[in-house]
Amino acid sequence: MGPEERGAGGPTDVEEAMHFVVCAKQIPDPETPPSAFKIDETSNKVVPAQGFQPVLSQFDGIAAEAALRIKEAAGDDTKITVLSMGAESAQAAIKQVLAMGADEGVLLQDAAFEGGDSHATAKVLAAAIEKLGDVDAVFCGRQAADWDMGQVGLLIAEALGWPAAILAKDVQIADGTMTTTRVLANGFETVAQPIPAVVTVSNEFGEPRYPKLQQIMQAAKKTVTTMTHDELGLDPSEIGAAGARLKLERLYVPISNTQVEIIEGETPEDLAKNLVAKLVADKLF
Amino acid sequence: MRLVGAWWIPALTLSAVGVYLAMQASSSEGAGRDSFFNAAHPWSVYVFMSALVGLLVYGLVRHATLWRLGAPTQDSLLAQLPLRLKNMTRLGLAQDKVRRDRYAGIMHWCIFSSVLVLTIVTAQVAIEDDTPLEFLHGRYYLFFSFYGDLFGLIGLVGVGMAMWRRYFVDFARIRWDERVEDHLIIVGLGLVLISGFLVEAFRIEVTELTQEPDWAKWSFVSYGIANFFEIFELSDSQILSVHSWVWWAHIGMAFSWLGLIVFTRLDHMFFAPVNAFFLRTDSPGRLAKIPNIEEREVFGVGFVQDFTWKQLFELDACVRCGRCTDVCPANIAGQPLSPMHLIQDLKGHLSSVGPDIQRAGNEGKDQRAVSPLALVGEVIKDETLWACRTCGACMQECPVMIEHVPTIVDMRRYLVMDEARLPQTAQVALQNIEMRGHPWSGTALERTTWMDGLGDVPIYDGTQEYLYWVGCSGSLVERNLPITQAVFKLLRESGTSFGVMGQEETCNGDPARRLGNEYLFQMLAEQLVVTFKEKNVQRVITNCPHCFNTFKNEYPQFGGNFEVLHHTEFLNSKLQDGSLKATHEVNATLTYHDSCYLGRINGVYDAPRQIMEFVPGASVTEMQRSKSKGLCCGAGGGNMWLEEVGERRVNHVRSEEAIATGADQVISNCPFCIQMFEDGVPAMHPEEEGRMRPFDVAELLEQAVFGPATAGGVAAAVGVEGASGDASESEAEPGGGD
Repeated sequence: MGPEERGAGGPTDVEEAMHFVVCAKQIPDPETPPSAFKIDETSNKVVPAQGFQPVLSQFDGIAAEAALRIKEAAGDDTKITVLSMGAESAQAAIKQVLAMGADEGVLLQDAAFEGGDSHATAKVLAAAIEKLGDVDAVFCGRQAADWDMGQVGLLIAEALGWPAAILAKDVQIADGTMTTTRVLANGFETVAQPIPAVVTVSNEFGEPRYPKLQQIMQAAKKTVTTMTHDELGLDPSEIGAAGARLKLERLYVPISNTQVEIIEGETPEDLAKNLVAKLVADKLF
Repeated sequence: MRLVGAWWIPALTLSAVGVYLAMQASSSEGAGRDSFFNAAHPWSVYVFMSALVGLLVYGLVRHATLWRLGAPTQDSLLAQLPLRLKNMTRLGLAQDKVRRDRYAGIMHWCIFSSVLVLTIVTAQVAIEDDTPLEFLHGRYYLFFSFYGDLFGLIGLVGVGMAMWRRYFVDFARIRWDERVEDHLIIVGLGLVLISGFLVEAFRIEVTELTQEPDWAKWSFVSYGIANFFEIFELSDSQILSVHSWVWWAHIGMAFSWLGLIVFTRLDHMFFAPVNAFFLRTDSPGRLAKIPNIEEREVFGVGFVQDFTWKQLFELDACVRCGRCTDVCPANIAGQPLSPMHLIQDLKGHLSSVGPDIQRAGNEGKDQRAVSPLALVGEVIKDETLWACRTCGACMQECPVMIEHVPTIVDMRRYLVMDEARLPQTAQVALQNIEMRGHPWSGTALERTTWMDGLGDVPIYDGTQEYLYWVGCSGSLVERNLPITQAVFKLLRESGTSFGVMGQEETCNGDPARRLGNEYLFQMLAEQLVVTFKEKNVQRVITNCPHCFNTFKNEYPQFGGNFEVLHHTEFLNSKLQDGSLKATHEVNATLTYHDSCYLGRINGVYDAPRQIMEFVPGASVTEMQRSKSKGLCCGAGGGNMWLEEVGERRVNHVRSEEAIATGADQVISNCPFCIQMFEDGVPAMHPEEEGRMRPFDVAELLEQAVFGPATAGGVAAAVGVEGASGDASESEAEPGGGD
């Protein structure tokens, strides 16, 4: 797809236009009210809530924002492809990223892709990225906001043999190098790696832009191609449920049973005395 | 037509008095006067006159050149001609709006009628002089003299009243944008009138005073002045000399004053009645649609020439009276919006860049690259636009009929759709509407949660008479569930045939339209109209005044013509026809808050008050700012989803006002207002003891109809024993809270 010829995996000449891929996943709405959220425990699946539409995973929107800001800073005709593995409904998520400013979309839609774990999913996405060719950077959300595994970004890098930096709160690309500032438990860390590379973006990066109406209307005209496992040259036994190494044993909504007993007392001293008496009586001491 | 304050009463009375007195004149044969008495070079008046006319034409052309930069209006401003003429008469001639400030109403009537009558007086002299017609003699002349003096005096009274307010008392709003011209206008008019009387006095002194004293008395003011000057015992030639000077001074000042029309706000005498003619003939709750939105390249108004020519014209009608700013809830709370300054800033901007835009157009250059300042963001700041509540108080008070709200929303449309520059919280709300069909991001409720415990809730299927439209706020915001449930129970009790849409409800788009995302609004409206028609919806009862306004006034733009009622209107009708009976006492003092979208914008003031009258035991105290002068709760115009910038919060101001009535409860009719009070009242009254409680009319009525056992909130508030609800009622005394 990229017009320029480049060696695969090596540093890219800064004057040539770059090609980014943003991975986007459409998920059940995390804001589904608890009362509408149901699990089918026999099949270990979430029952789609009636009247609640699936949405773009929020971290993927932020990843798209990261890619767009680099594109704007570069000031050239960097191309951004939004890539999604999902059902037909994922077109809406792709359109959302196109409206933000991505140039084209690719939907990986195949029954063989379904039911996979992070590893199987990463295999599919990596195959698509290789097929797109001449990709300089892959932007993923730090985790999908439904399963929150946080592994696909790293596994894509593994599959492609590229370096990866995760939990980015800032990303820059210049002169063939991606510089990422990462969020740690106790601070921030800045790392540099040569592109092509993978970065997963965290919410500390910022908010995804609100698209202008022109962009929303133009998004409808941008191309979205679909691909199946055949076109990607993938063996069905290695992808989807067949290729999953992680087995889901049980999926359930925990029952919370809260009993509240208010300890009575006139003064703090009384309250403490009564509390201790209760704890002793309940054999907790 | 109201009798009290009607403009035609003083006009007719004075005419009748004048006619009567004229009839009484014993002899009038020969009464009259020489035109241009003692004036050297009378032809000079015609030079002044021509110069004035030329100046007026020049001024008009200069203004019109700027107006014509604007875009065409969507609707024809000539449609509904009889209504427009009536508006022009009622608002332009009778000045209904001016009289909303009684002092100003009287003052303005005095000045206006004086200038009008004296212009007619002068015109008659000119006609007598320059045409073959002769009528200024005899009885008519005496009547004419009397009227001239009378209205000269009335004018001085008006000038005096104006000076009193401007110079002697602390009347703030006229000083928020005070300019030199304001002093020139009022002092100038005073001098013109005084010099006019002096001219007449000196003329009389050497003519009628001695020759025909009975006739002289008709010019009663000058008669008095003339008699006064008699004490100086000047000779006739001396008087004539003085007369000549004063005559020239009077002519000079009069024409100069009239010339001020071209350069100052005096031009409102023409522009205001014309703006009244152009005033929208439909509801102020209806914002204009953007036709063919998909084909447009620019959205909203980001450049001054993208306003309609009417929006540009009305900038010139503004007289800087400050009434709009005085009643603006954002301004009252110290937030960065002043409607008057917004209009004046737009007017100034148009004047400064207009000629350059015109020139660029003539030279084929880009007219949008002309202005050194961005209209939206620099001339008018973003924060100014976001502070607007679209409450319409500014438009209600404006005596020259300026429509501030559509102008503000047009600029918001540019911010949201063209620039995508909007506060994060508003962005979240809009995106939530797009993704989830409601603005309440993070709600843990479903649209059907309110139905729990109500038994069989009928779903609308086209066979029922009414659709009870609950709305997003009524179903997804926890505080409002009791209101929805109350309305439901009352509808069921009244035997009304109705159904609800439950999960199928979706946002009707009102917040999107007010915030400026017209595209999103149109998508939602078009879809919902289709849904309503598929379900054979004909009559809708809404929980919320915003839904009410949008369905009633705006959905017809999309082919949706439904009969729409707010729940207070409907429940009131059920009380009136006996389907509902309010028998249980509610011993509480109440005050009522008119929500803007039900009250001022749609004129529904009485139905909720009539409901309160049906409630036994309840007494109502009105807040000072009520009905069409009601103060907004602060949540409108999308501000429910915006952070407030400024000194105070609007809902705190309004809560304070409600608390000041001393009532036990503040009753409203809108889920947004209720939320504003639920936040504002505790903020203004931190102690829970004795705190006022906010309730909807429906909750109040529920208690009156069903009794305390089923109405948790209201009953607990008044401390009725046995009321379900919070635990504190077990200690409460019956008979009302304190």
